[in-house]
Amino acid sequence: MSKLGAVVEAVGKHEQFVRDQVKRARSDEKFARELTERWNKFKSEIPVSKTPTGIPLPRLALPEIDEAGEIARYLFGEGLPGEFPFLNAAYREMYLEPLQHNEQGSFKRSTSARSTSSNGAKKNGARPPEEPTRLFSGLMLAEDTNKRFHFLSAHQRSKRLSTAFDGPTLYGIDSDADGVFGKIGEGGVAVDTVEDMVRLYDGFEVGSPDFSASMTISGPAPIIMAMYIAAAKRRFGNGVVPNLRGTIQADIFKEVQAQNETIFPIEASLRFLLDMIEWTSANMPRWYPVSISGYHIGEAGSTPVQQAAYTLSNGFAYVEMLMARGADVNVFGPRLSFFLDCGLDAEYIALARVSRKIWAIGMRDVFGAGPKAQLFKLHTQTSGRSLVAAEFKNNLTRTAAELMLAYMNATNSCHSNSADEPFTTPSEEWIRLASHAQAILLEESGIFKHTMNMLSGSPGMKAVERAVEKAILDEFREIESLGGVMGAVENRYQRSQIQNAAHRYEEQIYDGTRPIIALNRYRNGSDEMPEVELARTPRSRQQLQVDRLKKFKARNAAKAQKELEKLAAVVETDENCFPALLEAAEVCSLGQISGCLQEVVGRFRPMV
Amino acid sequence: MPAPIRILTAVPICDGHDSAINTINLEFIRHGIEVVYLGFHRYVSDIVRAAIQEDVAAIGISSYNGGHIEFFADVVRHLKKLGASDIKVFGGGGGTITHDDAREMKRKGVDQIFFAGTPLTEMVAYVKKHYAKPRKARAKSNVDLTLARQLTEIEDAKGKVKNSKSKNSKRPKVIGFTGPGGAGKTTLIDELVLRFLKQDRQSRVAILSHDPSVVGEGALLGDRATMINSQDDRVFMRSMATRGQAGGLSPATESCLQLLAHSDFDYVIIETVGTGQEAMPFRNQLVDQTVLVMNPDYGARLQLQKIVMLDVADIVVVNKTDLDRAKAALSEIEHRLTQNKRDQQIVATVAKRHRDAGVDELFELITNSKSSVAAVSDRRNRKNRRSETAATSRKKS
Repeated sequence: MSKLGAVVEAVGKHEQFVRDQVKRARSDEKFARELTERWNKFKSEIPVSKTPTGIPLPRLALPEIDEAGEIARYLFGEGLPGEFPFLNAAYREMYLEPLQHNEQGSFKRSTSARSTSSNGAKKNGARPPEEPTRLFSGLMLAEDTNKRFHFLSAHQRSKRLSTAFDGPTLYGIDSDADGVFGKIGEGGVAVDTVEDMVRLYDGFEVGSPDFSASMTISGPAPIIMAMYIAAAKRRFGNGVVPNLRGTIQADIFKEVQAQNETIFPIEASLRFLLDMIEWTSANMPRWYPVSISGYHIGEAGSTPVQQAAYTLSNGFAYVEMLMARGADVNVFGPRLSFFLDCGLDAEYIALARVSRKIWAIGMRDVFGAGPKAQLFKLHTQTSGRSLVAAEFKNNLTRTAAELMLAYMNATNSCHSNSADEPFTTPSEEWIRLASHAQAILLEESGIFKHTMNMLSGSPGMKAVERAVEKAILDEFREIESLGGVMGAVENRYQRSQIQNAAHRYEEQIYDGTRPIIALNRYRNGSDEMPEVELARTPRSRQQLQVDRLKKFKARNAAKAQKELEKLAAVVETDENCFPALLEAAEVCSLGQISGCLQEVVGRFRPMV
Repeated sequence: MPAPIRILTAVPICDGHDSAINTINLEFIRHGIEVVYLGFHRYVSDIVRAAIQEDVAAIGISSYNGGHIEFFADVVRHLKKLGASDIKVFGGGGGTITHDDAREMKRKGVDQIFFAGTPLTEMVAYVKKHYAKPRKARAKSNVDLTLARQLTEIEDAKGKVKNSKSKNSKRPKVIGFTGPGGAGKTTLIDELVLRFLKQDRQSRVAILSHDPSVVGEGALLGDRATMINSQDDRVFMRSMATRGQAGGLSPATESCLQLLAHSDFDYVIIETVGTGQEAMPFRNQLVDQTVLVMNPDYGARLQLQKIVMLDVADIVVVNKTDLDRAKAALSEIEHRLTQNKRDQQIVATVAKRHRDAGVDELFELITNSKSSVAAVSDRRNRKNRRSETAATSRKKS
């Protein structure tokens, strides 16, 4: 049996603890006085900012309560932003504009600053935080995506790039393999070798504290990670490795449950993943080696609750496996990050808030994690599935509403979808609008920049929190009864639950009980799709990728053979195979390496 | 009543978006269509091979990851090249396939593209209207095309078709796999196929796989979707729906098997649907060797007394022996077999594991006649026949 059952118990115990504290605050006068004094003192120290129109606003809004029981319920049950159990936010100030000198009051810097604590580079509190905007991009060949990266990040202080890979790369297949030619550079960038990786991030200082790269790939993630490191070393020398910042998705469980981009058998995939996590946790302290993802579970059709429940349980399963290998939860724990979908269903008002709380309680009380390893650090993407082709400009409104929900949940970073996504890789016009939507929300509007908790804690939000938390714990119990995450996966429990939910969703669209404007309600009668500029990869570019790869293989043939033999030998043992992958990545292509690994461990058997 | 329409559905290579096709498959089968589902991330060559072997009327492709113009056109081209251009191609890709794309794809021979928002009922109606016509004879025909069409004729006549006796003197060994649903029969067979293919360079394997028909007479024939090694030109696989017959096989199984047994294969494998305790699917000496595949989670020990196949199977495979209960299960089943006093074999496997030693052992038992299990006298004749097709003599062919 897994530790998931213990997490359910721990959450229950925590609720009991909160109830006990409330009771104590109402019966123990000394305790009540202490709490009230702490509360009042804290409130009085909250700094105040002035809005452009001149009204003063506290940088943190707290509920207007003065009764000790209620104060206890808030402090222990929700926690202040940045405090256990982190219901309101992982950090104290999130998206707030930096405090100006002439404004009053101060927070101790150590309790705030999402940006400085995550890169540890600067102690200076005046440094502006990183923008949470992180836009996903990838098209054609590496140099084409590189150009797009420069275009997108031109106006940003910090360069936060998010990389989409094409189909062959996601499946660990080389561009010169039979039958994949038409897929090269479609839906993402084609990466076959370390040389592509050099081209991809050309012109960016990958070791700088202002740079971070995110790579959305899971099946062959350890190989791509090795190529990223190899490329960085080529450009900046070995010394750059400890400074590398970013995320690689590498989430095998969600692939098997929803997205179907797995290339090795589950056990072998997990072993390669854990090898990589151990290596990067030790050698790249600023890297996030796995992004535990619900996004694709949501996009495959799950309900919001299923999405959160499977994501959290997958995360706990990784922790359990890493600890079973002897890894230190306080070393790898802070390097775990999460990725959720945000759609328009009511649950999304509090889905990430509840997830943050359950993660913190589980990590602290079941796995003994310290404060840094309790944080559920979240990237959110607005829902691609919620967008439709019919009268596609409505997608701007859908995405804007989803962005509001995502930021109300205090996400740490966010991607907003382009309105043209239902029919193409986003074109520059629409991706620019998507990016601006976030800037309008965070910088132009006053909703999130003056006051933390601006929209938290409404009675409706509380109601959603309670319902969502209960439903997530019920899902945990179900998974636990099937032998934990691994047992449930082998029984294809998550897959069939997701498929059922997807089927229900489609039926609701067809029978009209789920209104989709301009699709099943208020149609304008025309089925014709809009004229939009399509981002498609020309054959000549696809051929260029194939030609370059063939030259690379010819040039490195002898060395590659040697490295692959070494790699295969290591994989046969129990040793951590990531160092061997790093060496192979210098001279071998992605397909050569994945093929070599498949010879030893076999191929993934699809689940339906 | 006419025979059900058979179509094949798949998702292209480098594409794992199976949410739409899963929903569409369910709608098809609910309306009486038999769907052979090949799964996601499939090459053009895999799709075309499967379509030919399954002799479907049409291929439905669900593509969400780009490159669709090229991919669909490749499928059409490949079908034509192999003389199977009567198999039609249709598909969709939500919003990723534009109207312009669709026009180009139609010019390249694709029948129909469905766009986002198309009601499922409209797709069902389209398939029923266009793909129910009787199949025409083919001008050019290779071995697999001919065989596939003969199997269709047998199946649609509910097995009441006389086989023309083949001149082929070589008889394949026929192995029957049965057992409860979820025991891992398909995975086990696919792992055995890998070993068959590796042992020499020319032998061919046929697989006759069964899935239940549902109310409304459609069926989801999904065994191919989880197979990786059997997507090979040296494997001829046919998926059959039970079409109303209880017991794990189809009314046409026996006739189809006769045809396959007279064709140029070295091994023919039959997989039943997931069976219950009372099932005894292989009658009339249908097979040379029977393999019962079990899961360690069969419940209390008493349940074993009720499983009829435990009395007649030549080999009992206990799969998933990495599970906690496996050790107890193995000893309970072994004890049960000892009571039979029939020299039955028991093999412990973990079929999902690459290079599993238990599967190697099973492969040995199947391919090596010396370790054959036919110790009982009434099986003597078949034992003799089996030795003719054993691994050693096959190499001559």
